[in-house]
Amino acid sequence: MRVPADRAALATVTLLAAVFALFFLLPFAGLIDRAIADGETWSLLRTRQVREALVLSFWTATLASVLAVVLGTPVAYLLARGHFPGRAIADALIDLPIVLPPTVAGVALLTAFGRRGLVGEPIEAWTGFTFGFRTTAVVMAQLLVAAPFYVRAAKSGFDAVDPQLERVAYTLGASRVRTFARITVPQAWPALVAGTVLCWSRAMGELGATLIFAGNLEGRTQTMPLAVISAFEGSSLGLPGAVALSLILLVAALVVLAAFRLAARNGARS
Amino acid sequence: MSIEFEAERRLGGFRYGAGLAAKNELVVLFGHSGAGKSLTLQFISGLMRPDRGRIAIAGETVFDSAGGINLPPQHRRTGYVVQELALFDHLSVAENVAFGMPREQDRRHRVAELLGLLDLAGFEARRPRTLSGGQRQRVALARALAREAPVLLLDEPFSALDDTLRNGMRRELLRLRSELGLTILFVTHDLREAHFLADRVAVFDAGRILQDGAREEVFRRPATRRVAELTGVANILEGRVAGFEQGHPVVEVAGVALRCAPPVGRIPRTGDVVDLAIRAERVVLRRGAEGGDQPNQFSAVTAEQFAFGSTHTLRLEPAGAGPAVEVELAARPYEVLQGAARREWLVELPPGDLHLMPRDVD
Repeated sequence: MRVPADRAALATVTLLAAVFALFFLLPFAGLIDRAIADGETWSLLRTRQVREALVLSFWTATLASVLAVVLGTPVAYLLARGHFPGRAIADALIDLPIVLPPTVAGVALLTAFGRRGLVGEPIEAWTGFTFGFRTTAVVMAQLLVAAPFYVRAAKSGFDAVDPQLERVAYTLGASRVRTFARITVPQAWPALVAGTVLCWSRAMGELGATLIFAGNLEGRTQTMPLAVISAFEGSSLGLPGAVALSLILLVAALVVLAAFRLAARNGARS
Repeated sequence: MSIEFEAERRLGGFRYGAGLAAKNELVVLFGHSGAGKSLTLQFISGLMRPDRGRIAIAGETVFDSAGGINLPPQHRRTGYVVQELALFDHLSVAENVAFGMPREQDRRHRVAELLGLLDLAGFEARRPRTLSGGQRQRVALARALAREAPVLLLDEPFSALDDTLRNGMRRELLRLRSELGLTILFVTHDLREAHFLADRVAVFDAGRILQDGAREEVFRRPATRRVAELTGVANILEGRVAGFEQGHPVVEVAGVALRCAPPVGRIPRTGDVVDLAIRAERVVLRRGAEGGDQPNQFSAVTAEQFAFGSTHTLRLEPAGAGPAVEVELAARPYEVLQGAARREWLVELPPGDLHLMPRDVD
């Protein structure tokens, strides 16, 4: 026998969960429904603009993720293990791009690396190179916005590795580098993978910073989210194009999630 | 193979200052937790740096604050088993053991040899997580031995084992020490373990070594009252020196004159307040009234008794003059003396086992 108050609570919780589930699922159902109704999704997917956006998104996000891993891993390890002045501040600042609106990140990038920017201007004067409105800028925007997700995950991964394991490895004659590669990284592996996936997904979806810093140039800086925007603003793709692109992003997201779950489960088992 | 060690370090309010030397022997570092035993191992292994001191392993100076020498742990030839074991769970047993092996070695052969030595053959491919506590501890030991270091540092390595396994491991360790000629520093707070393993015992308290000597010496002739307390001497009796008889001090304790073993260190003077120590298993019990006026005898009655299976502990209160004492009897003598039925005893504290400890003059 349930107490009446508990019954009411259970009913309320069920109702709230159902509302949430509906709100969560309906947009995706709408997307799929619309794609089927349009009937031209498949042909749209093979247009040059979509193909270029897809390829660009894929490799810029991948490059940004690689850079995030290469540059972010030492930072994450230092934050987890190092003792240096200002560590708490550095730790907090890492999260800044996560909480900051991406458009602000774009403006910030522009003021630093743009043609009139803090660093951009002298570099252009010196070498003639400009960062803005080219593929480099896309990667930079993605890196700034997405790398913190990797660093955050990697840091908690390193935090969770028992320092005693590293110390014992030292007493067994292993150098710091060997200890890191053979003990620390394998122990933190699930967190590192999770961070990379998060970072890659965030880079794939990056819109605001890219739009401001890199612009929306077909074939050069127009990633998929930007192509979706363009489709709405009247590019040849139109609304069906936006639906088609969204569908790709949705499928990509599902694949990443599934692969990540599988990888995490295998990692836990081994 | 030898170790020479001397170190000082301040850690907040804690002051560490200790020194010891060992060669081809098993030294038990004994004391309560927080006394500085584990810290000693960390100093030697290089995981912690002393403020001052000098450490040499097998003749090689690995730390010398005066000479500016401080080799990293990687270059110190120690095998270190930490209390938590810290096995590498993502590696197999064989990979764990091979981790510290020199590169040029035939690793597979050597791993098989070590696993055989520690009765772990057949477990090569297993993950440490899937092993029992005793097996995990043997893997940790094999991993430390694989480095072929002349000095083995063991921090309560058998603490998580049940008694049967623990005894097996202890025997194993003694065998390894004699077969491989290792110097072993073994941290424990377990008296029985210290008894079983030690060639020598170093008693730690509050960052200092209070006494360092052969096992029997430390257990039977503690240097101070504190050492006697730490090493589990049940009977610590306060008294006053009444005089000397042929070099033996005679101490008056609770109204009886007790003749003691000649003191090891400083000779006390007549009138000094001193402490006497005698372990519970050294006290002799006689059936009441026989014997009579022998020295170091007095009458007592059973106040309490406890059975521990193989031994019995009796707490005795004096019938007239004399101190209260605790006596430990093995099961057989206990039965012969009818310990359960009898209440009145003649207690004898053999002078050879009655050890005098002078008080520090501050």
